[in-house]
Amino acid sequence: MECDEHIVGRNDLLLVTGATGFIGSRLIEFLLDLGFRNLRCFARPSSDKTKVEILSSRRSGEARIEVVQGNLQSPDDCAAATKDVAVIFHLAAGRGEKSFPDAFLNSVVTTRNLFEACVRHRCLKRFVNVSSFVVYTNTRKTRWRLLDESCPVEIHPELRGDAYCFAKANQDSMVAECGRRLGIPYVIVRPGHVYGPGNTGISGRVGIGTFGVFLHLGGSNTIPFTYVDNCAEAIALAGLKKGIDGEAFNIVDDNLPSSRQFLRLYKRNVRHFNSLYIPHSLCYGLNYLWERYSSWSKGQIPPSFNRRRWHAFWKKTRYSNEKLKTRMGWTPKVPTAEGLRRYFEACRVGEPNA
Amino acid sequence: MLRVAIVGCGKIADSHASQIQRIKGCEIVGICDREPLMARQLFQRFPVKQYFSDLTELLSEARPDVVHITTPPQTHFEIAALCLKAGCHVYVEKPFTLYENEARRLIAMAIEGNLKITAGHDDQFGHAARRMRTLVQSGFLGGWPVHMESYYCYEFGRSGYAEAILGDRQHWVRRLPGKLLQNIISHGIARIAEFLTTESPQVMTLGFTSPLLRSMGESEIIDELRVIICEEERTTAYFTFSSQMRPALHQFRIYGSKNGLVLDHDQETLIKLRGTRFTSYAEKFIPPAIHAKQYLGNLATNVYTFLARDFHMKSGMKFLIESFYRSIVEHTPVPIPYREILLTARIMDAIFVQLDLKRSHVEGRDQISLRSTLTH
Repeated sequence: MECDEHIVGRNDLLLVTGATGFIGSRLIEFLLDLGFRNLRCFARPSSDKTKVEILSSRRSGEARIEVVQGNLQSPDDCAAATKDVAVIFHLAAGRGEKSFPDAFLNSVVTTRNLFEACVRHRCLKRFVNVSSFVVYTNTRKTRWRLLDESCPVEIHPELRGDAYCFAKANQDSMVAECGRRLGIPYVIVRPGHVYGPGNTGISGRVGIGTFGVFLHLGGSNTIPFTYVDNCAEAIALAGLKKGIDGEAFNIVDDNLPSSRQFLRLYKRNVRHFNSLYIPHSLCYGLNYLWERYSSWSKGQIPPSFNRRRWHAFWKKTRYSNEKLKTRMGWTPKVPTAEGLRRYFEACRVGEPNA
Repeated sequence: MLRVAIVGCGKIADSHASQIQRIKGCEIVGICDREPLMARQLFQRFPVKQYFSDLTELLSEARPDVVHITTPPQTHFEIAALCLKAGCHVYVEKPFTLYENEARRLIAMAIEGNLKITAGHDDQFGHAARRMRTLVQSGFLGGWPVHMESYYCYEFGRSGYAEAILGDRQHWVRRLPGKLLQNIISHGIARIAEFLTTESPQVMTLGFTSPLLRSMGESEIIDELRVIICEEERTTAYFTFSSQMRPALHQFRIYGSKNGLVLDHDQETLIKLRGTRFTSYAEKFIPPAIHAKQYLGNLATNVYTFLARDFHMKSGMKFLIESFYRSIVEHTPVPIPYREILLTARIMDAIFVQLDLKRSHVEGRDQISLRSTLTH
C-alpha cells in the first residue's frame, strides 16, 4: 500500500481509544504492520494493558507506542490524549449493560469531550468513530432485503429497549453534529458481529440463553459476521484512506454462514448443548407480546424484547461490503471458514458462552 | 397536579422517573444535570416537559413542588438546601447527606419552611418489608425487639459500577468519608434504625479490606464490615456488609421475646419464626412443614402481586414516593420519621469515625514498627 493513498504520514501520531479491548489491540498491530511508527493508546486505569505492553516491548525498535491512562469523561484527560494527534480511532464505548445513562455517558459524552479537545489542538485530520450495526432500524423493509449504508438508522433508539443501541445511535449523531459544527473530518464505521479469539460469546442474532435453554432465533438468517482481524483492517483504512470524509461504512465479511449453519458448526466444534428453535413468526409474536406486556404493566418487565429489536436482529436480511471494497480497497484477509476455525479453537480452550 | 423535578440524570434517576410516571396526580416538569447531554438523554426517554443544566434555572422556570435529588452524595446537602430555600419539598437519594450535622440542618430548614423532606430508603417499603412492619406494629414480636440482624451484601463481580470504582482512583465514591460503604450501607442501617428507640446507641465497628481486593492492590476500600449496635443493654443489632460471602444476602432478622421474623429483600419473602417449641419429635417435623407452607404462601403472594402489575423491581421506591407525595398533599406525617433519618446518619458517622481511627492507628503502628526496624 502506497503512502500517497493515506491522509497521514508514517511518523504522524495516531490515537486509539479502547486500545486494550478486543478490536483495539488488533488495530494497533495492524497499524504497526502498515509501518506507522507513532501510536498513542488510551485506556482506562482498570483495563488490562498486558496485550498492549507486550506489543510495545516486542516492537519497541520500530515504533513508539505510548500508553496513556485516563477517563474520557474528563476533558483534561481528553486534552492530554489528543495533543498532537493526526487521526483518532475511537473504539472506546460504554456497553452500559442495562443502564442507559451509563452507556450514554461512556459513549456520547466521551465522544463530545474528544471532539472538543481536538478543536483546541487544531491538528486532527480525521476522527474515526467505531459504531455498530445495531443502529440500523431495518423496519419497513421486506424480508431478505439488502441492508447497506444507505439504510436509515433508528430515529427513536430509546424505543429499542437496548442501552447499547441508544448510546451508539446518539454517538453517531454526535459525531456528525460535532464534525459539522467544529469542522473536523470524520468517518463512521459500523461493524457487524465481530468474532474471534477474545470474544467467544455467541451473537444474540443467533439466539439467547437468557431463559435457561438456548433459544435459537436466527434460523436461516445470514449472520453479519466480521472476523476481528478483518474488522481491524477496515477500521485502520477508514482512518487513513483519502477522499472518504463524512461517510459511513459497514463492515461484514464474505461467505457469511446462516445462523443454523453457525450453530451446527459450534456444537460440532466446541461443545454440544440443547437448543430450541423458535420459528420467525413465533419469534416476532413473542417479541410483540413482550412489548405489549411491558407497556401494559408499566415496566414490570423491561422492554428488552420488542418488534424493533426483532427487525434489527432476527429479520431475514442480506448484507453488503461492496462500499468498503470499492471505496477503500478492503478485502477480508481471513476467510470466514478460517476465522470460524480459529474462533472455535479459542472457544474450546477458552470460555465458551452459549 | 404535583409538579416534580429531578436533579441528577445518572443511573438512579431512571428508577425515579420510571416510578414517578406510575403515580397518578403528578408530572415531571423538569430535569437537570450539570452535563446537558445527560439531561437530554433522560428527556429523550421519559415524558418530561423541560431539561436544564442549571439548577437555579430549573427552580425558577419549571417551578417544581417537589425535587428529587439523585446526584452524587457530596452534593446532596448543597442542592437540597437550595431547593428548600426555593420552597420545594425534597426527596434525597441515599445516603441522605455525608454527615449527621448536615442531615440535621436540612431537616431543620424543612421544618422551618413548613416543607417536607425524605431520604431514599426505599428498600424499607417493598411488599414484604411492609408486611413485616404491620406484623411488628401488631405486637407479633411480643414487645420491643430483643435483637436484630441486618445483612446488606454486595457482589463485585456482577457490577460494572464496582469495576469503575476499583479501576479509578479518582472515582467520586472514593472521595466520600465512608467511601464505598457510605454509598451502599444506608439501606441496611436504616432497617435497624427504624426499630431503635434511643437517640444515641452504642456502635462497635470492625472493618477491613477483603483478601480478594488486597490481591488486586486495593487498600483504601473497605468491603468487609461488621457492626454491633446496642441501646441501653436492651436491644442489640448486628449489621453485616460483605462483598465476599455467598449468598450475597439482603436480609433482615428481627427477634422479640415471643417470636421472630425473617425478611428477605431479594426473594421478597417474609417468614414468621415461632417462639414456642413443639414437644419431642414434633419439633423436627412440624416446623419444617410450617415453613414450607409459609414459603408457598409467599410464592402465591408474589405471583398474585406480579399478575396485579405491582411487582416492579423498584416497587418500594414507588410506595415511598407515593407516600411522600401524599404527606405533602394531605398534610400527613412523612413516611420516614426524621428521627430515623438522623439516627441512620448518626450510626453511619460513628462507623466511619471508628474505621478512620482504626486506619490511623494501624498506619501509626506501621510507622513505629518501621522506625524501630530502622533503628535496630
